[in-house]
Amino acid sequence: MAAQSAPAAEPLPPPRSEVGVIGWLHANLFNTWYNGVLTVISLAALFLALGFALKWAFMSADWIVVVKLGGRFIIGPYNTEVACPGQNCFWRPQVSLLMVIFLTGMAWGLSGNRTARNIALLFAGVASAFAFLPYSLEAMGWDVRLLLLANLPAVAAGWAVSRYTPLGNGVRIALLGGLVFLLILALLRGLPGTPWLPSVSVIYWGGLMLNLILAVSGITLSLPIGIALALGRRSELPVVKALCVAFIEVFRGVPLITLLFMSQVLVPLAFPEDFPQNSLFRAGVVITLFSSAYMAENVRGGLQSLHFGQAEAARALGLAGWQTTLLISLPQALRNVIPAIVGQFIGLFKDTSLVYIIGMLDMVAIGRTFIQGNPEFLVNARETFVFLALVFWIFTYGMSYISGKVEEHLGVGQR
Amino acid sequence: MVNAPRVLTYQGVPVWRHIQIIQWAVQVVSAIVVVALVVWFFANIAGAIQERDIPYGFSFLSRAYQTPIGEHFIPYESSDTFLYALGVAASNTAIVAVAGVILATALGIFIGVARLSGNWIVSKLAMVYIEFFRNVPLLVQLFFWFYIVLALPPVREGYVIAGRFYVNNGGISMPWPYAPDLAVALIWVGLAALAIVAGGAVNKRLALRESLTGRSSYPLLSAFAVTLGSGALAWLVLSFATGDSPFFISTPEPQGQFGRIAGGFTARAGLLVLLLGLVIYTASFIAEIVRAGIQSVGRGQTEAARALGLSPLNTLRAVAFPQALRVIIPPLISQFLNLTKNSSLGGAVGFTDLTSVAITMTQTAPAVSIFMSIMGIYLAMSLTWSLIGNLYNRRTRFGGGR
Repeated sequence: MAAQSAPAAEPLPPPRSEVGVIGWLHANLFNTWYNGVLTVISLAALFLALGFALKWAFMSADWIVVVKLGGRFIIGPYNTEVACPGQNCFWRPQVSLLMVIFLTGMAWGLSGNRTARNIALLFAGVASAFAFLPYSLEAMGWDVRLLLLANLPAVAAGWAVSRYTPLGNGVRIALLGGLVFLLILALLRGLPGTPWLPSVSVIYWGGLMLNLILAVSGITLSLPIGIALALGRRSELPVVKALCVAFIEVFRGVPLITLLFMSQVLVPLAFPEDFPQNSLFRAGVVITLFSSAYMAENVRGGLQSLHFGQAEAARALGLAGWQTTLLISLPQALRNVIPAIVGQFIGLFKDTSLVYIIGMLDMVAIGRTFIQGNPEFLVNARETFVFLALVFWIFTYGMSYISGKVEEHLGVGQR
Repeated sequence: MVNAPRVLTYQGVPVWRHIQIIQWAVQVVSAIVVVALVVWFFANIAGAIQERDIPYGFSFLSRAYQTPIGEHFIPYESSDTFLYALGVAASNTAIVAVAGVILATALGIFIGVARLSGNWIVSKLAMVYIEFFRNVPLLVQLFFWFYIVLALPPVREGYVIAGRFYVNNGGISMPWPYAPDLAVALIWVGLAALAIVAGGAVNKRLALRESLTGRSSYPLLSAFAVTLGSGALAWLVLSFATGDSPFFISTPEPQGQFGRIAGGFTARAGLLVLLLGLVIYTASFIAEIVRAGIQSVGRGQTEAARALGLSPLNTLRAVAFPQALRVIIPPLISQFLNLTKNSSLGGAVGFTDLTSVAITMTQTAPAVSIFMSIMGIYLAMSLTWSLIGNLYNRRTRFGGGR
């Protein structure tokens, strides 16, 4: 037959309008007439908005408040004369930062993958880049700049320690992390009565440092508490269940700022007047409990998403009830709700800005009080809050980026 | 030697390993611990209140509040009682919550659908919106809008849009319906509701006939005609009977040498900023919920609908969206709840919401009692949202209700 004898004809190349840049444009922007209209309108809106934003950011905006507040945004009034009389306490937050960067280096050394390396190097790089800020030497001395630069060796040291010493193991690094957090709190608080480490009251802790301290403690504690509450809520014991439901519903039903305010008014009354307690601790506890009520609901959602066959199979294999929960149900449940859990972490980080209600000077409150106290900077308020929004966004977007990587690593949705 | 046969006798589990006894013990112990903690906490507080001579109790509720409330939607005088003032503040929060929920849902659905658009640039723009506004604290956004509104020109030099909307640093004034006689207005609202119900019934009946006989019966068109017709009829009858229309539209007008705006409705700066912030913030969460919900509908559903010849819009409206609602409603309700609670940040931008009024009240009344009361009010609002959500859930569940 002719078809057998003649060589098979080369298939025609696809039409020019379906491949390459034009093909992409056709498929994604102009496949129907209304999509074409939409594209044109959105492009026009985009150019208008971008043009306006860029013109504002580089021509008319005046970032004087950000420049003026600089370090205040990062540590609040921590190194002022009232907080730390007679000396400059700036080195204490800086050494804390060094320890954190060291830990990031250790995490990089442990995991050894590219994402961890990029994150660690980015942290260290940004921190040390602050050493080159064009402030005068009176405003930002050599000691400050050198301690900032030390972040680069710190990340390298962390990497080396976790690579070449027995410390490079997940559990040990986690324990070390907890230890470092407590150490940082102790370092920032200081020892009363010592001349070289005078104690600094928590009311002077502020800025991004305060946001991060509250967020880190809240994140590490709210997940276990939330898991416990979720298990309690699914328990067959009516009393335990009722207690957990009551806790979750009450904490989810009222705004965080009323809880913060209540903690400030009520909790001091419950303890003797000379009992050592402070507003930072109370705020941390309230934010943690508030967040764990939400966390409990997320974990419960994950537990409900599991097929009951999982638990039944585990029981049939002879696992005890607690083994079934810890080894079978929880790992799968938590993996299924990673986005919700990370969303709650992000929510918690954003909620740390609410401590303004009890008079603590977090990053947002620093900007706000400065503008209220100095009306000549009222016109620069927009720039201040755009800057604050960007700082928060970098942290929160980073969190969701890392969670995406973790999900990828665990193969969520693949299995 | 043969061992004597060992007789196995079941002696029961020891008491301390008996599962029911362990369960009871756990429950009793946890109940005792919690009750003891609560009792200890409140007993200490009661002791401290007596010892340090702190005012307490709820007798302040019947006292006159003596403080103005900046913005209120129901009549309020400074001589009114604390209880009434709390009610006014709660109504402020409730109105912001309801208005915010309606606007945020509309914007959120719009953005969520845009996120799923086949148009690359529309989808990316929606993504940028979501990723930015969702990840920045509401407080920062509120302050940003606050200073934007503050930087608007004063009343006399404010912007006028279409001759009816006045935008200035005092807020936005817009035309608004007012009722000269509340009773007549309420009667008309009742009749209008009836007209809507009647329209719904006509729609259902004609749609049924259309699907049974295959003859075009124009169900939606007829329903609109019935609703609008009977609503207009009721309006005319009421207007003739009372000599005044149930509602009239009041348009804002600048008056006097300072250009103060009278008439219409003025959303003052605090309310405006709070609503703007809440709506933009919450819409970014709702958009994600809508996107996830629509994506949860199997691909085959949309493909089948397209294969049957439905347009993309009709596919979304009649096939994908109704099925997505089942997934969307529970998290959506929880966003409504969050919006209601987030309105407690109103105080930061100068809106007199429940929390900010409560904080002002603590200067002249016992703080603990006030905060107990407002937490109760917030809890009641949250429970109302959950109730609405549960009712709706029951209706849209597979196999249930309908």
